[in-house]
Amino acid sequence: MNEDNKSTSKDKEKNKSEDVNDKAVRPEPVISIEASDRENTAIDIPIKAKKLKKQRRKTALNSIALANIILMGAIFAGGFVYVALLPHETKADDENRMLTTFPDFSAKSYLNGKYTAGIADYFDDTVHDRAHIKEFIADNITPLKGRKYGDGEDGAELYGSGFIQKPAAVVTTSPPVTTTAGVQSPVPTAETTAVPETTAPPQEEEPAQGELTNNILIVNKRGVTLYGGAWGAEQEYASFVNEYKEALGGKNVYSMVLPTSSSFYIPEQYSNLAYSEKDDFDKIEASLKGVIPVDAYNILNAHKNEPIYSRTDHHWQPLGAYYAAQEFALMAGVPFADLSEYETVTLPGYVGTLYMYTQSATLLNNPEDFVYYKPKTPVTVTQYDTHFQNPVAANLLLDPAPMPNSGYYMVFGSDERIVHVNTECKNGRNLVIFKDSYGNALLPMLTSSFENIYLCDIRYFDLNAIDFIDSVEATDVLFAMCSFSAVGANRSCIHNNLNK
Amino acid sequence: MVFSRLFFIYIFLPLCLLCYAAARGIKQKNTVLILFSLVFYAWGEPVYIFLMLLTAVVNYTAGLIIGKYQGKGGDTAATAAAVAYDLLMLGIFKYSGFIAENINALFSCSIPVPDIRLPIGISFYTFQTISYIIDCHWEKVKPQKSFKNFLLFLTLFPQLVAGPIVRYSTIEKEIESRTVELRDISYGFNRIALGLAKKVLLADQLNIISESFLGNIGGSTAFGAWYGVIAYGMRIYFDFSGYSDIAIGLGRVFGFHFDENFNHPFICKDITEFWQRWHISLSTFFRDYVLYIPIFGKRRKYGGLFLVWLCTGIWHGASWNFIIWGLYYGVFVFIEMKIGKKKMKKIPVIIRHIYSKFVIFIGFGIFYFEDIGKLGTFFKTAFGFGKNGFIAVQDRISLINNMYLLIIAVICCFPIISTIKKVSDKRFASKAVISSTAAVAAALLLVITSIMLVDSTTHPFLYYRF
Repeated sequence: MNEDNKSTSKDKEKNKSEDVNDKAVRPEPVISIEASDRENTAIDIPIKAKKLKKQRRKTALNSIALANIILMGAIFAGGFVYVALLPHETKADDENRMLTTFPDFSAKSYLNGKYTAGIADYFDDTVHDRAHIKEFIADNITPLKGRKYGDGEDGAELYGSGFIQKPAAVVTTSPPVTTTAGVQSPVPTAETTAVPETTAPPQEEEPAQGELTNNILIVNKRGVTLYGGAWGAEQEYASFVNEYKEALGGKNVYSMVLPTSSSFYIPEQYSNLAYSEKDDFDKIEASLKGVIPVDAYNILNAHKNEPIYSRTDHHWQPLGAYYAAQEFALMAGVPFADLSEYETVTLPGYVGTLYMYTQSATLLNNPEDFVYYKPKTPVTVTQYDTHFQNPVAANLLLDPAPMPNSGYYMVFGSDERIVHVNTECKNGRNLVIFKDSYGNALLPMLTSSFENIYLCDIRYFDLNAIDFIDSVEATDVLFAMCSFSAVGANRSCIHNNLNK
Repeated sequence: MVFSRLFFIYIFLPLCLLCYAAARGIKQKNTVLILFSLVFYAWGEPVYIFLMLLTAVVNYTAGLIIGKYQGKGGDTAATAAAVAYDLLMLGIFKYSGFIAENINALFSCSIPVPDIRLPIGISFYTFQTISYIIDCHWEKVKPQKSFKNFLLFLTLFPQLVAGPIVRYSTIEKEIESRTVELRDISYGFNRIALGLAKKVLLADQLNIISESFLGNIGGSTAFGAWYGVIAYGMRIYFDFSGYSDIAIGLGRVFGFHFDENFNHPFICKDITEFWQRWHISLSTFFRDYVLYIPIFGKRRKYGGLFLVWLCTGIWHGASWNFIIWGLYYGVFVFIEMKIGKKKMKKIPVIIRHIYSKFVIFIGFGIFYFEDIGKLGTFFKTAFGFGKNGFIAVQDRISLINNMYLLIIAVICCFPIISTIKKVSDKRFASKAVISSTAAVAAALLLVITSIMLVDSTTHPFLYYRF
């Protein structure tokens, strides 16, 4: 096959020569014999036998070819039924997204190629039972690429190259995506990930859509996004937060940069794959002017043997948020409710975003419990758009029941909104939280600590931050985001929100 | 439309095959092929299809004029006009932005840089029409009198957007008369399955490795740079030769016999041989139509050589790295010419292999980095002057995580299948066994590839961009 069959023209010539050979044996023997005597004549028997043998062989090879065609034809026919006729999926729970819909026709969409591309995307993306096919790939095909590095529990898989690299410019805010290109659906809950790309140097080359952009180590059944260091960006983060303090004067401004699992769960032999988050936190703390640093690192480190970080998701678990919130409450001098005052909800079988990014069978086959906590005290929750308009009454936590594969986003919801929580804690303290998706999990933990809490995502905020803080009469402002956001591209949002 | 998508494999192709099988006679079959080819092209280029059709009309008409005024002034004028048109279109749509940028940089002016999207396949179909016109002019082929037949030659979807560059002379007779035997169809299907497997199971997986290491060259170790560039080289090979396999397989199913485009290039022993095995349809195009252009006087031999390599580089893209890449190969071919075949053969084979692979994979590095600064970083890193040392744990992890993939990829670079076939063809029994095994293997590959496509990032074939 392929170039192995050197030249098709050679085949052609070969066929021709076979035909010529056929013709060569066709002429009658030179000695003329009456037809009636032929059967008894020995002269042409070998010729006949040879011809018959050749014909038999040709027939046999044709039969094989026919069987081959039938087999391949059956696959094409089966594939047609499967791809075109069987019911199409509409939602991918494992990827936390809606699948591509059939495009609407318009002259414009046709002329710019989006319509036809959309049709192909639709059929490719919505094949029947795709979740099981993906599981089959993760379980049976992907592992065939190689084996884990190292033995036993410490055996490692690396997605991305995992280099420590000095970034020179800001990174993209796009979430890493490994699914079919061009088919990302606009589901807010799936588009709000805050895993930035500081390990790889995305500033050097814009990653192509649909390719792995993060470096993820999978070891001990846990996925870890490798932290690549701030390399000076931490100074910029500190200066941005300082600007808020300068503008806000007497209000309390806190900076709580949250470590990721990169700080706690990388075995010693792989420790040089990631940079130290703690070192950068210390540098940030040293650069803050009037801003109160909140040390989440140490308290989380003290509890790292508890399930404070998700193994299959790049976020922390709500328990981690609880400890961080406790530290913040201590620094802010506000009351803080014990975990016993919450209702514990466990969602078993959770496989989070890191599986989505890596398609690793290790993560798929080792789901975890997603445990979250519902405050027992009643609160009033109002959601606004990013202009702080169009209020809608909402629940503090979403009900994940309708989603078979629920998790972080299903519980805490999307980021493209401003949330106002009014609590029964009447201490006159109003808190504005500027956060990334990590910060979402803090909200329920602070409902006993502040009278009003405004949760704003730094990436989706369309107001002047100082005006907003003043307008809601905030007494406290907390910057709560993971290290990747604080020293990655998202940090520029902090500054930009001052100038809107 | 991309071959390696479920939509193509299981909707477009079966419908096309059904209609083709239902059509009676060569004229109806050709009509079916033209219609499906136009749909195929319009799927990705709903506007630029008119450019392709205009190109078809211009070159068809020029062919008729050449035929009418053979050997006279009209012949030369029509040839020159058609070739000029073809090159102008290629220049406008592929190189105008690059030219304007460089003029601006060179003369510190500010000519507006046209932002023109490259029409899919323009580099391939333009070369097809040029070869047709010149062959008509040289009387190697008779001009095609039927526009429909000419349109079929130009638009035939198996080879339309990413080659191989099928010359008119190759399929001239088959356009008007062709027979398809069972063995053609089975061979064609198997070849399609093989091509898809090369693309999806090898090229796309190797792409993940190469992007991880070359995409992050500033943080790479020396080992990582070589690892990444070797993965990239194999990725291009499987990507492009996979496309050629699919094209040749599809052609065979419809009764066309396209020439091979790749012949296990990595087993070459020198650079000259590499280019006899790599993208053969492009190399032979330049050899036949550019090498002996009499513009270099007495230095024609070497002038033509470097012109060919300059053109080879430019053809691959409007970027300096491609020009450097082309000339880079030109230098090595020139050196090998100077050394001479006999002396080259006296060099131990192992040395020649090491030399050729070294040059080839460095060449892929040049090919990869369109940013000259990053190319410099690549060279520094690969030759041990990078900041990150020789090897690091991430290199080892990636190597082990992908070890079976890499082993299979390397094995697939060798002519294993052709060797088996050659041996088995000697005896009927073994030929029957191998044919049966090939049928089952091809079916399995098609199924596995299709499964992988459900979960794949869509990587268009690399040569779509040329």
